[in-house]
Amino acid sequence: MARFDTLNTAWMVWDSPAPAPEGAVLEYTRELEKFLAEIERRAFRMAQVALRDPDDALDVVQDAMLKLTRNYASRPSAEWRPLFYRILENGIRDLQRRRTVRKRVMTWLPGPKEDPDNEAQDPLDNVADAAPTIPEKLMQAQAMEQLEESLRALPARQREAFMLRNFEGMDVAETASAMACSEGSVKTHYSRAVHALREQLGEVW
Amino acid sequence: MSEQRHDAFEMRSRTLFHDSVEALDMRIRSRLTQARSAALGAARGRRSRWSGWRIWTPAAGVTAAAILGVVLWIGSPLTHQSGTMADVQTSFEDLDLVASSDEGATDAMDMLQDDIDFYAFADRAANSGPAA
Repeated sequence: MARFDTLNTAWMVWDSPAPAPEGAVLEYTRELEKFLAEIERRAFRMAQVALRDPDDALDVVQDAMLKLTRNYASRPSAEWRPLFYRILENGIRDLQRRRTVRKRVMTWLPGPKEDPDNEAQDPLDNVADAAPTIPEKLMQAQAMEQLEESLRALPARQREAFMLRNFEGMDVAETASAMACSEGSVKTHYSRAVHALREQLGEVW
Repeated sequence: MSEQRHDAFEMRSRTLFHDSVEALDMRIRSRLTQARSAALGAARGRRSRWSGWRIWTPAAGVTAAAILGVVLWIGSPLTHQSGTMADVQTSFEDLDLVASSDEGATDAMDMLQDDIDFYAFADRAANSGPAA
């Protein structure tokens, strides 16, 4: 046990472990920024697929970024991606749960029953883009819309496994880490997701 | 369903997804950039607040210890000064009486230990008022 000359010295040393040196902190902050910049758009789209509403998707992505930077920034950078997606998926589930509760409460209240998902929709979102629409792009957008609808119809774990493996390109081990389950479960969820999606979308999709 | 068709489906899904990511509008991109900056800023702010905490904790601890010491010292019976000047004077006289060795044949300390019954009686007499 270390001995201290003064109480002040003991206080200074008390809160071990000592913080990372400033240079190291700057280094991982830069790395973290690079990581977030690389991942944020895909994360947003995945959240949007699950939640439909872009503002909700932005909220959960921002929340996941905050939690990652606050709690896990000093972890090895190889762990960031599974950690980030685990936080993101927890955020998505929390929001979906709150929505379910809100919908149940709303059914007990008098007045018009509107879909809360459409409440905050900006009318400008429905205005057609001024740029000419290329038919192929339109078809792709429609196909993506169909895929999104089918993904929303999947059980949460299957949707999660499909998006992490297929959209994010994670391997089985990394996906298992993000989903906090075994690799075998990931394979099962993914396989079921692919079968279900193919059935829903049909052969011509 | 063949494995090949499975792969084609997965490939098509992936391509569509990545196209949709590339097609995100500027408003969303900008908000994501802001979210990222906010997250990193909050983390930096938290760290600097933590640094401040680390600096001020020892000072706060020493100050708290000093205040506690003063409070304990003031509250101590040894330094409790709630009596009047007359009480203080009486205490000194008692001390003087006990410490004094000018009592001739009977030592002051012996006197105090001599007759417990007597002092009990004297106490009762003092509390019962004037004698009948």
